[in-house]
Amino acid sequence: MYCKKECIAMLLAGGQGSRLYDLTKQTAKPAVSFGGKYKIIDFPLSNCINSGIDTVGVLTQYQPLALNEYIGNGEPWDLDRTRGGLSVLPPYQGNKNSDWYKGTANAIYQNINFIKQFNPDYVLILSGDHIYKMDYSKMLETHKETGAVCTVATITVPIEEASRFGICNTNEDGRIYEFEEKPKVPKNNQASMGIYIFNTDTLIEYLETDEADEKSSNDFGKNIIPNLLNNGEKLYSYRFSGYWKDVGTISSLWESNMDLIGDNPVLNLADDDFKIFSRNFARAPQYHGEKSRVINSLISEGCQIYGTVENSVISGGVIIEDGAVVKDSVIMDDVIIKSGAKVYMSIIDSDSIIGEGAIVGKENADKSNITVIAKYSEIEKNSVIVK
Amino acid sequence: MAFSAVGIIFSSLNDGTLSRLTNDRTVAAIPFACRYRLVDFCLSNLVNANISNIHIVANYNYRSLIEHIGSGKDWDLARRTGGIKVISPFQTATSSSLKVFSRHMEALKSMRDYIDEFKEDYVVLMDSDHVLNIDITDVIAEHEKSGASVTMVTHPISKEYTSKVPRMMISADDGRIKDISMSKTYTQSNPEMSLNIFVMSTSYLQIMLDQAEAKSLNSLTGYFAMHFDRSNYRTYKYEGYVASVSSFLDYYRCSMELVNNKEARASLLWKKEFPIFTRVHNSAPVSHTSTAKIENSMLADECVIEGTVINSVLFRGVHVGKGAVVKDSVLFHGTYVADNAELNCMVTDKDVMISDGVKLSGNPNMPFYVQKNRKV
Repeated sequence: MYCKKECIAMLLAGGQGSRLYDLTKQTAKPAVSFGGKYKIIDFPLSNCINSGIDTVGVLTQYQPLALNEYIGNGEPWDLDRTRGGLSVLPPYQGNKNSDWYKGTANAIYQNINFIKQFNPDYVLILSGDHIYKMDYSKMLETHKETGAVCTVATITVPIEEASRFGICNTNEDGRIYEFEEKPKVPKNNQASMGIYIFNTDTLIEYLETDEADEKSSNDFGKNIIPNLLNNGEKLYSYRFSGYWKDVGTISSLWESNMDLIGDNPVLNLADDDFKIFSRNFARAPQYHGEKSRVINSLISEGCQIYGTVENSVISGGVIIEDGAVVKDSVIMDDVIIKSGAKVYMSIIDSDSIIGEGAIVGKENADKSNITVIAKYSEIEKNSVIVK
Repeated sequence: MAFSAVGIIFSSLNDGTLSRLTNDRTVAAIPFACRYRLVDFCLSNLVNANISNIHIVANYNYRSLIEHIGSGKDWDLARRTGGIKVISPFQTATSSSLKVFSRHMEALKSMRDYIDEFKEDYVVLMDSDHVLNIDITDVIAEHEKSGASVTMVTHPISKEYTSKVPRMMISADDGRIKDISMSKTYTQSNPEMSLNIFVMSTSYLQIMLDQAEAKSLNSLTGYFAMHFDRSNYRTYKYEGYVASVSSFLDYYRCSMELVNNKEARASLLWKKEFPIFTRVHNSAPVSHTSTAKIENSMLADECVIEGTVINSVLFRGVHVGKGAVVKDSVLFHGTYVADNAELNCMVTDKDVMISDGVKLSGNPNMPFYVQKNRKV
């Protein structure tokens, strides 16, 4: 059936996220829990629906089980549509060849037919590993105004960190004349956010050329963008200002969680004008016992708090028993912290049990020394675990 | 599990006695237990027993009920086959008298067409003003095993119990119903109260409706009372926690009981195999700021706590400002308690605004109620 869309999104969600270590051993990075009741992928998906984009292809590859189960038919984001909506796009076996996704560009290349069925004028390329709220429709407007064939979203980063990113060197009007992937000596601090809008024809043309090049690593940042520039195509940057965080490391994931708490949080999730949607489970309300003490924290549904919680983010169904203390930590779903246990500067993945009187993490440790407890761990009582 | 059953929920047959809470909604849509509405418990009980063909009888003020239920997907009831149907009263172009049913039997008669289409073996009838978390599968299994015509779920009540509306009081001998009477209080001869969950075969319901039609009977309890001595009516005793909400005071007391009684919470809300489903709202987790103090309370999502909350039930999106104190109170969603306000023994309806420094207090026997959208 013919179904024309002006702009569709392709969300690259196959990343392993190896720098999240234990947290991504069994889970793809976009399915890592965040902020009590969210997963990282909720942010790009919510951004799509909040930007009026109702057709999203989610490209999965690494450990897709939890991710697939979580996104389901896209209903939590209002993406369960009869025309368009959300489609999960795993690597597949073809008539002539079958292959894993070799790189970001190859992943899109393998799904050109998916794109073509919607005959879109523009394709938005997203990645599933950043925490940010962004209205892509404004970026699309800029893309149309400048007449670019490709627009790259950029954000200002501290110059000393710029060499970790793809840096866009632009003219005054925003036209990109050079793109440097992780330069040793960055010329400026406008980092690519890994978000691109392409004219569909241009995208397909360059993907096909790139695929034919055997030496290419089939990556947007390393190949496609430089090729466009080499051919003198019109590329513009779109400067985004607002909260944006790459949560690819334990310390940045922890930090981003901490940005949600406090009297005036850096990132406000309770904002009705730009909601972040997530798959909600009907858990019981949270209950606080008579001796509970909770300050500066986010607490989710289904929790039972009898102990002390300070400066922490607590996901659904967590039980914190009498006399237990949780400080400066991120506790994921259904963790049980037994009485008298102490948790400091840690990330505890879901379904773990911290035994009575056990101590996890070190109080006031540096954020580069976050203790991580893997899923389904059982920490014996009175044991001490510090990274 | 080999049975098939259909559920019929009566949404509101005692709106009158719950007046304040039902100004803007029907009984089934009354918010309860922090994040639910009364109907959620009926629906979840049925859904947890794999019953997926459910009819809700609505008569008055059912807008909020319909909004709450939506397509039924939150209970997994958005189905091609079965699913959830709201049976509303209707008016025809030629008749100006709106047909509003005020009793169970009238409602059942009015939906006879639907009932004759039921392919399921059993029918489970339920009222929405008894809140409990019961394993309906077991009730039906007992019903099948005993060969009863009707199985009625009952709850032993204490001598102190009084209801605002007459309840069906029952005595049974080894499960077989011996006597039925209507009473607002405990009676020694009939010490069990019917929770108005009735299980019967579809064919029995049809026979009952035929007879009721022939004899112009309009009361279901009346029918049972007329027939128990020559029929095999049996009880299924439910010993877990039940909140029976027949009045505003009942409502307040049951809400406080959930906060103060661990067994009540465990029986109603914390059964792992029997979750209570409700409409979910993508709301953010609760934010406790540096000045928050919270003690023995239940909270739903998206609350912001800057002040003190003791022995209270806070629905979604309640804001408690700095220096404010909320004690022994039930605050419906969107209640905004500004800085330094003090609430004690209060029930505030949806989107109430309590201004800076305002002090309001009811007492445990006469909680103070603030109407929807009011600014105090």
